[in-house]
Amino acid sequence: MRSLVESKWIYGLLGAFFGFALSRSGATEYDLIHQMFTGQNLKIVYLMGSAVVVAALGMRALKLLGNRTITGQEIKVHQKPLHWGNVVGGLVFGTGWALSGACPGTVLGQIGEGKALALFTVAGLIAGTYIYTLLVERWPGLSS
Amino acid sequence: MSNTFQAVFVKAWPWWAGGLAIGLLVPAMYVLTNTALGVSTGYGNVLFCVMPRTNLIWLKKTFKERWSWRVFFLGGMIAGGFLSARLASRPLVTTGMGALTASVSTGSAALVLFLGGLLLGVGARVAGGCTSGHSIHGTANLHLGSIVATAVFFVAGVITTRAVVLPLLGGVGP
Repeated sequence: MRSLVESKWIYGLLGAFFGFALSRSGATEYDLIHQMFTGQNLKIVYLMGSAVVVAALGMRALKLLGNRTITGQEIKVHQKPLHWGNVVGGLVFGTGWALSGACPGTVLGQIGEGKALALFTVAGLIAGTYIYTLLVERWPGLSS
Repeated sequence: MSNTFQAVFVKAWPWWAGGLAIGLLVPAMYVLTNTALGVSTGYGNVLFCVMPRTNLIWLKKTFKERWSWRVFFLGGMIAGGFLSARLASRPLVTTGMGALTASVSTGSAALVLFLGGLLLGVGARVAGGCTSGHSIHGTANLHLGSIVATAVFFVAGVITTRAVVLPLLGGVGP
């Protein structure tokens, strides 16, 4: 167990669990994301909401148990402070979310499921991240 | 036993099962690896894998390692989706994308998806995270920036759907 958690393959397993859960619960379905935004079907809102509640309770439980990892390290959670980028970037991100019917995580599940057109979403994501690196060269303040 | 297998591996999960699994992933990642759940930064790591000698400030500052944990995590997510679709006996490859491909040509759909991906890429970096890092991890840890970003994600998504996506789908929608 110790050698597994100290190797990078543990991240492959955790990622596979995440991708599997997203796919199983329908988060990789274009229609469910679209219907969330039209208000026709709120399954994904319930999914995200319950995930947040479970994660918050889990983090609370870790604190009560002394905030230690399996190998005895202290667990550190880095704060994400409020930044103007949360609003400006959030507007851009939300627009992309509605257009693609996917987010950076669910699109990977779509690729695995064999949804060929998701390759265009991923290509856009990589290109968009590259555009960001060019923008930061010119305006370093963009980096949060 | 067979019914349990069907419910977990073959049929679609109800929202609460997905919420439980994804929610537990956040503390599980801390206990096992002391890392915060997050996906979108991984796309920058993919760029860094392709251009390890880059002089671009953000890539050099953010990634010390070519094959960091993020690359493994992203690859694992693809494998998870693959496994899920195989167990449910879905077709290996499909060009369908729900109501989008039911309403517009495959070429137009590809263009819309690429544009959407582009905005997700820029937006996630400017916002400092995505639906995983902000909406799940950050919100659960009560980070103010994450809560604000998540609210804005939804507002922009609803506005874009009404202003752009619904007219695009031409009322043929689901």
